[in-house]
Amino acid sequence: MRYLIKNGSIIDPARRVATVGNVLVEDGKVVQVIDLADLTLTPEPLDEHTEVINARGAVIAPGFLDLHAHVREPGEEHKETIETATKAAAAGGFTTLCVMPDTRPSIDCAAVARQVREIARRRGVVRIEPIGAITLGRAGQTLTEMAELVEAGCVGFSDEGNAVADAAVMRNALAYAAMLDVPIMAHCEETRLTRGWGMHDGAVSIRLGLPGYPAAAEEAMVARDIALAEMTGAHLHICHVSTAGSVALIRAAKARGVRVTAEVTPHHLTLTDQWVLGNLALVRAEGKAIQRSGRDRAEDDDGLDLPSRLKPTLLPPYHTSTRVRPPLRTEHDVEALIEGLRDGTIDAIASDHEPQSAVDKECEYRLAAPGISSLETALGLALTLVHRGKLDLVDLVAKFTEGPATVLGRAPATLRPGSPADIVIFDPDSPWTVDPAKFFSKGRNTPLAGQRLKGQVMLTMCRGQIVFRRGNFGVATGALQQASRLEGILGSEHEE
Amino acid sequence: MSVSAGAGTARSRRRHVLDLDDFSPQEIDEILETAASMKEVLGRAIKQVPTLRGKTIVNMFFEESTRTRISFELAGKALSANVVNFTARGSSVEKGESLVDTVRTLQALGADILVMRHSESGAPYLAAQYFHGSVINAGDGRHAHPTQALLDLFTVRQRLGRIEGLKVVIVGDILHSRVARSNLWGFTRMGASVTLCAPHTLIGPESFWKATWPHLTITSNLDECITGADVIMTLRLQRERMEAGLLPSLREYTRFFGITAERVARAAPHCLVMHPGPMNEGVEIMPDVAVSAQSVIEEQVANGVAVRMALLYRLSGE
Repeated sequence: MRYLIKNGSIIDPARRVATVGNVLVEDGKVVQVIDLADLTLTPEPLDEHTEVINARGAVIAPGFLDLHAHVREPGEEHKETIETATKAAAAGGFTTLCVMPDTRPSIDCAAVARQVREIARRRGVVRIEPIGAITLGRAGQTLTEMAELVEAGCVGFSDEGNAVADAAVMRNALAYAAMLDVPIMAHCEETRLTRGWGMHDGAVSIRLGLPGYPAAAEEAMVARDIALAEMTGAHLHICHVSTAGSVALIRAAKARGVRVTAEVTPHHLTLTDQWVLGNLALVRAEGKAIQRSGRDRAEDDDGLDLPSRLKPTLLPPYHTSTRVRPPLRTEHDVEALIEGLRDGTIDAIASDHEPQSAVDKECEYRLAAPGISSLETALGLALTLVHRGKLDLVDLVAKFTEGPATVLGRAPATLRPGSPADIVIFDPDSPWTVDPAKFFSKGRNTPLAGQRLKGQVMLTMCRGQIVFRRGNFGVATGALQQASRLEGILGSEHEE
Repeated sequence: MSVSAGAGTARSRRRHVLDLDDFSPQEIDEILETAASMKEVLGRAIKQVPTLRGKTIVNMFFEESTRTRISFELAGKALSANVVNFTARGSSVEKGESLVDTVRTLQALGADILVMRHSESGAPYLAAQYFHGSVINAGDGRHAHPTQALLDLFTVRQRLGRIEGLKVVIVGDILHSRVARSNLWGFTRMGASVTLCAPHTLIGPESFWKATWPHLTITSNLDECITGADVIMTLRLQRERMEAGLLPSLREYTRFFGITAERVARAAPHCLVMHPGPMNEGVEIMPDVAVSAQSVIEEQVANGVAVRMALLYRLSGE
């Protein structure tokens, strides 16, 4: 099957290209990229085997690479499976998911890594690349057989969810991973400072009486791990950076040449601890028991000025959908994280997709399992930065594509002819309302239920196959199927 | 239906009592007025009125409590309600039933008002999402104890005739105290000036508190801040704080933060000494101070019943 994706805004950060044009895909590869400004090109061949996808008004970009997803399989299939997670990924524009090893059993030996890849091969709709555990059972004591895990396809190592408490173990892990030229992806948390934590340690935690998870608990560990990376020359990747202090530590380390990279989640870039405080008016009101989502109200919005409305108006206080690890921080931290993205201190946006079952969330705040189901809202949430003028659209795409590829030490996905046809088409301006009931993910745990976002994925292609399509996006009329390239240049009148 | 219906309608009838942060000074005033009438009822030979006849109140206590539970029980009975006590020990909770399931069960059994004590901050907010009647927070974790704060306000006003302009000093383990937080809302809303006095390990950074209560004073110097105080409220010090390493010793705590007669003498002559109970006499308060003429500790307990009657009455919509 051939696909001709027409008239989209092509953003290809790896080639520093942003232009309007067409992309021709055949046999799972990009075969031709046609810049519509170039009139000397020959028309692309059209025949009955070519499906034309009209991408007018939308962005065509390389498929997103997620460095950090929890897919729960094997072992917790009631929360998520590789099949549902990859479908959610496709709907979010991701064509590759690096999956964390906190499964049951954990990915701490080659057999489990191979099993994950085998399940992905059979039932996954996008690519899955496993991340191996640093220590056996993620218990922080004995190093895993890292060389064999790399052989089995692991692209990095992490004890995600658990910090490696023992500095000597971490030192050895870094040194050993350096030999294999793969990153150690560190979950940085000094757990002696977070015992019994409820939320970020700050004004809101004091008001709500929830034990705090101080910024310093993250920063102390980031500082330690940077020192160990510096000593061993290893590549340290800091997972889900959440504080201004961590950004400063990483910036300084990069400046003096330490091999450190970093990722940030869409929610830490946009939401704050105010979301835990929520909206008191929702419990003050007389009437029936309050509803858990405010879709009815959000639907009435006129769709204007959406980003500035991203406020926790639809959540009652202590809503467990806001409980995530590390916790949502303050406005000051959010600003520092955005600055870190802009100046390159933070290389990538990663979902930290953490699906949880309803039972794990429908309980007292501190007892709720942390995590946000984020694959399907990642782009929409991250785009609020573009709409607020904080980040350029091309830079944002780079943080989902080029940046994470750099972390893995590989050439970035690109739309250059000959590249695998992993492609996302998204409309950066399309307004929509987050409805967890419509998620492909089994995890409905999101604080964004009922929120209006601007920008959504319309079509995702992995290895040249369409793995997600919103409605019948891009379906061309018969006339357009036959349209000449010239019509394409002048703007087709045949769109539906 | 809009979920925030009532958000803008300040006059809508109150449904839950989860904290004092959503009470206006006027509403607090009205409750204290009603409590005075209830106190009069409690002084009669027959301490009962038929106001809540036919209503069911469930006292749902997931944490040990003597005075608050009995106080609520007496308040409900004085208003002729059916009062059922439910404690976590031996209940379905120990069999792994979730809070939400428990609330749904009590709903099905016909409860009208849930009075809830829970060790987790925010638990009553969860219950309120699932319960169709009213939820009264009888203490949740470190977060809030609104009925305690109302009875403290009532006691102070009965004794000193006003709240506005008073200097109130709250001393002790502020960080872990729901009583301190609710009293902060109550006293500041009613125009008192509040000082929090605690060792740094038992309060946390000043800026965290001032973000919510900008006019508050925070200090660790009790001798200084007690000068001229109209109200001294001291809090229970849990022994776990020592085990968690938050304090070097009880001895040192008592020496610098204990309420002694000498310290009370530095306060205003009419100064009231308060304690939400239960007391560790000889630790946060000296035995002679606890029974002195300035101590209103027993009065606080007695007033608790009247204040809780006033709240139950208000929620019943009468």
